[in-house]
Amino acid sequence: MHIVFGGAFNGKRQYVREQLKDQHVDWTEGQLPDKKDAEAFIVIAGLEHWVRQQLEKGFSEQQLMEQVKSSLSQGQAQQTWVLTDLNRGIVPTERIEREMRDVLGRLYQFLFAEAKDITRIWYGIPQKIK
Amino acid sequence: MARGQLVFISGGVRSGKSAYAESVVRAAGGERKVYLASGQAHDEEMKERIERHRQDRQEDGWHTVEQAYQMDRVLENLQSNDLVLWDCVTTWLANELYEGWEKGSMCAEISGCMETKWSSLQETILDMLDTIDLLTVVSNEVLDDFVRDELYQSWLGRIHIWLVQQADQAIEMENGMAFRRK
Repeated sequence: MHIVFGGAFNGKRQYVREQLKDQHVDWTEGQLPDKKDAEAFIVIAGLEHWVRQQLEKGFSEQQLMEQVKSSLSQGQAQQTWVLTDLNRGIVPTERIEREMRDVLGRLYQFLFAEAKDITRIWYGIPQKIK
Repeated sequence: MARGQLVFISGGVRSGKSAYAESVVRAAGGERKVYLASGQAHDEEMKERIERHRQDRQEDGWHTVEQAYQMDRVLENLQSNDLVLWDCVTTWLANELYEGWEKGSMCAEISGCMETKWSSLQETILDMLDTIDLLTVVSNEVLDDFVRDELYQSWLGRIHIWLVQQADQAIEMENGMAFRRK
């Protein structure tokens, strides 16, 4: 599993598109992949939107973690997770955002531990950090 | 003649980016150090602060050019072999994107407005590099947080990506340490 990580609007998706340009890619935005296409490279992006939606629906952090683990166990070698860094700002005033930031931070820690490769993107420049 | 060098420096608040940028300019030697300032005074305190900074830099041998908008106008004030420090992209973008808000006709809400300004800035930077020896651009890291202003932040990301592509050196500052990314 490969993680592409960095701030918003830093060119993460562009980097992933270039890396996978000749591949059959199954790209998922703002949700976890539901179908298992064994041939495809799976890209999971916009996890923060999924986390927010799930929390708003009343799911617990534990349930989210279980779903992420379950997605990860499906064809791990072919997955790229595009993760947006939003944990370096000031504490949000809205409760849902504080909760989202905490949950997301812990999900990222889990995913970082599981990842084989991690590439950080800083304004289009890739840097291998794992 | 070879194109002037472009150095992009970005960092968080109090990361030491301005001091580092000044040291890059000093190390380049050269004939004239030009400080290109994009800040605007909105009240008396700001005016005094800007003036104080300008005097401090003057004592340190800097020539200050204030240019909050329309960066192309700066070209006529530059000389060949100048070493320029532009501080900073984030204030320039805010000035240009929100220009006209007090008249109810903000650039951000006018189709194509920011695109035109951006094309002009790109041209200006490339023209500048044909004249001067060094352009050091300072900017801020404000994209590692919740997206609060999508238009502003997406523009900033786009501008930073272009500057890094054009740059001979791109540096990320963290707590006074410079990490060379390009």
